[in-house]
Amino acid sequence: MKISALLGEERLSTQELLESIRQAVREGERELYIDAAGQQDIGGPLWHPAGRPLRLVVHNPGQRVGAMCLEGTELWVEGSAPADVGWLNAGGRIILKGDAGDTAGHCAASGTIYIGGRAGARSGSLMKHDPLYPEPELWVLKSCGSFSFEFMSGGVAVICGYDSEGLEAVLGDRACAGMVGGRIYCRGSLAGLSGRDVKASGLTAEDIGFLSGKMGDFLGAVGRPELREELTDWAEWRIIEPLSYEERPRKTITDMRSFRMSRWVPGGIFDGVYHDDGAVIPLVAQGDDRQKIPLWSEKVFARPESGSRPAGSSCSDCRICLKSCPAHAITRVAAPGETYRYAAAAALCIGCGICAGVCPAGTWSMRGNSEDNIQLAVSAGRPAKRAGACP
Amino acid sequence: MAPVMAQDVTVNDLPWLLEYSPERCQMCGKCLAVCTFQAIEAATERRLASPGGGNAPAYRLAPVIRQSGKLAEACVGCGMCAKVCPNRAIRPVRNPDSRSELLVRSGGLPAKRGGRNNLLKGRTLDEIVVGRISQMTDPALDSERHTFDIRAPFGRVLGAGALPLAAEGGLLQVTGKTPPVRWIYPVIFGDMSVGALSPRAWEAICLATAYLNEVHHLPVRMCTGEGGLPPGLLRSEHLQYMILQIASGHFGWNRIIAAMPEMQTDPAGILIKIGQGAKPGDGGLLPAVKVAEHIRAIRGVPKADLLSPPNHQGLYSIEESVQKMHLSMGAAFGFRVPVAIKCAASSTSVSVYNNLLRDPYQICGGFFLDGIQGGTGAANTVSLEHTGHPLVSKVRECYLAAVNQGRQGQVPLWAGGGIGMTGQAAADAFKLICLGANGVFIAKLLIQLCGCVGNENGRCNACHTGRCPVGICTQDPRLIRRLDVDKAAQNIVDYMLAFDSELRKLMAPVGNSSLPVGRSDALVSVDKAVADALAIAYAC
Repeated sequence: MKISALLGEERLSTQELLESIRQAVREGERELYIDAAGQQDIGGPLWHPAGRPLRLVVHNPGQRVGAMCLEGTELWVEGSAPADVGWLNAGGRIILKGDAGDTAGHCAASGTIYIGGRAGARSGSLMKHDPLYPEPELWVLKSCGSFSFEFMSGGVAVICGYDSEGLEAVLGDRACAGMVGGRIYCRGSLAGLSGRDVKASGLTAEDIGFLSGKMGDFLGAVGRPELREELTDWAEWRIIEPLSYEERPRKTITDMRSFRMSRWVPGGIFDGVYHDDGAVIPLVAQGDDRQKIPLWSEKVFARPESGSRPAGSSCSDCRICLKSCPAHAITRVAAPGETYRYAAAAALCIGCGICAGVCPAGTWSMRGNSEDNIQLAVSAGRPAKRAGACP
Repeated sequence: MAPVMAQDVTVNDLPWLLEYSPERCQMCGKCLAVCTFQAIEAATERRLASPGGGNAPAYRLAPVIRQSGKLAEACVGCGMCAKVCPNRAIRPVRNPDSRSELLVRSGGLPAKRGGRNNLLKGRTLDEIVVGRISQMTDPALDSERHTFDIRAPFGRVLGAGALPLAAEGGLLQVTGKTPPVRWIYPVIFGDMSVGALSPRAWEAICLATAYLNEVHHLPVRMCTGEGGLPPGLLRSEHLQYMILQIASGHFGWNRIIAAMPEMQTDPAGILIKIGQGAKPGDGGLLPAVKVAEHIRAIRGVPKADLLSPPNHQGLYSIEESVQKMHLSMGAAFGFRVPVAIKCAASSTSVSVYNNLLRDPYQICGGFFLDGIQGGTGAANTVSLEHTGHPLVSKVRECYLAAVNQGRQGQVPLWAGGGIGMTGQAAADAFKLICLGANGVFIAKLLIQLCGCVGNENGRCNACHTGRCPVGICTQDPRLIRRLDVDKAAQNIVDYMLAFDSELRKLMAPVGNSSLPVGRSDALVSVDKAVADALAIAYAC
């Protein structure tokens, strides 16, 4: 049955044309030739009352030809079609002999779309695969426009790259942004792929099996069976797949140390004017890195009696410092034949000054561990002076 | 013990009080060991031992730690004591009854400190939201998945009519020279000097810059500040990421000039610093306590308070600044390197910018406007708190002045001073870009990422003392050794990667895949006065 969208000088509206197509199908018509005049949404969703297959041939469709097409519908489009060919395809078999406009196969979730020319920008975007149904397929003989296969999450696309030798990228620029599922087979040069979403590799035997099993049907449908030999040199093909969830970096791993060791100025940019061994010290530090160092009894006179109190010192030998030192750094030294003295071991002492704070006689005092030693540490890049035991 | 007199200064007069729980304290001494300000001391306190027995009270001595009551040893609230205390027995709290603003001026000297303005509380940028969202009108972008061109010019961009182009034989030919322009990331790290920062802190920022460029291909540039450059950098390839600053002191420039024959690469640019947003009227100030030997060597100075004059000696007018200074700096690097100029935002900024735009030599490669909320390593408090100009309206006025001449984008506008004060630098940058800035420069945020604990509520701000507790604003090797260069650099890198994502999050809904410079229609203000001043829509 033929339905024409032009009645003399009158053009049917999209609503009028679609209603007449539906009426025909409801009445049991299974083969329709639709001579359209740019009406939208021709081809779906249609179903035969007895569940029999439908075959539509469309001439001169508008946007969204084959939109929401159901399983059991086979739609042939003569020549080219504007945007959204096979939009939300839910199972139909759509064959377009010419070029498709932008967003061909957008959101297709099942069925097959064959395009015998080029497909426009954002083609294949958001294709997905519902596991209750066969995966959607989008075949394109030549190439796609930019931003193709954005956010694709399932299904198969096959871009054959015929007559595309001069193109920088058969998938267009910036393809596959946000792609998380499905796979794309393509032949020809690739550029501008979203590297943080997808990876490209050579075909496996399984891939080749899939393609060679279906290539004949595709080329036959779009009327180019003679191209089979040219398009089946599988070494020319690549498969593009999304990075797996595990392969996607959740968080940037910054490895500054390796970078500094391998690519930075050796020794650091201040080498030669400021000596730095690179050590990082904790807030509470010992030895040279203390803020302050304790000083015990500046005047010490030797006495012959062992263990006697040093003359001139205020120390009463009460040992409070010894007992209070949280770092256990203080020792009482009394060699035979000499007077005793107290000392704080630099390796243990944190420079807190509790010894000076609790000393009832003021024998311990704290001295800044900065100015003199800073000079030594930085002068001409010499290493910092090792502080000896505290007096 | 001397009697306490009414006018004595005690702990209660200081800006911070140490809240201390003796019953939780185990006298481990860690707080005492880490405090770089001598604000804590160990002591024994006399306590009543027991009420009974005898006619005189009996005492015992209790070891305690306590806050120093001396003004020179005042706690700055850095909180290192609280950080190391194993028992949470100590922490600094603000003293609302502090008399320190009166006391610090004893001795007849003006008060000084580092950090940012502590008096200004409101933030214009937070009164503005991105209110124009692409929905039915035009397609929004997907910030996660789409590709964005996030680049800003550094260098003089010629207007279409001034481009030296001619059609010859059907082909477009370049017939003359054009000024150098670098298309860089719209964030410049700047400009803190060697001297203001410790070698490790300075190197960390430098390292982060190189890492962002070489690993993440984010062409962030770092302005060196004026304090000379470390020798290892002058002769390395990494110099290509550095914008060299020349301020009124010209510190360290003799070594830069001397290194020219050995340079592996041109620097990214030159920035002439005329003024600084945090303290216009003050020149650079590096207190003697931070002029360590390596700083003396790099800068060629003795140990002294290093004061840069508030103006360049020998530049007396806008025209002279443009002609003389830009020309000299351009000539120094063979006119291959763009030269820009930085001024503190001021009521006069538009006049200056108009002059730069009309400059017949087309040599000014950028106008850097530094607002009052910028930070500094040391300033007179009076300058820090009371001089300067809010940034946002001035950026807007400059941009609109350029638009009025049809010259927007020709002398790129860069905005700084308080960017990222709330931690959300991407939002600040985006809003300033929509108002007309080409990019922003950040500094205080960087050292905060390195570990600086200072803030605008009076915490720390002791950069001028050389006692920085985290090793950033100090030249004391003992403190410098506290700073982990790798970790500091990593924090900056991570922040910038997040910044980049966040900037896309703002570009996507307005539908721009390149920077929306001057797209003020993207913004609305919930404050009528702000909306009117910025010529953007008011919304409520």
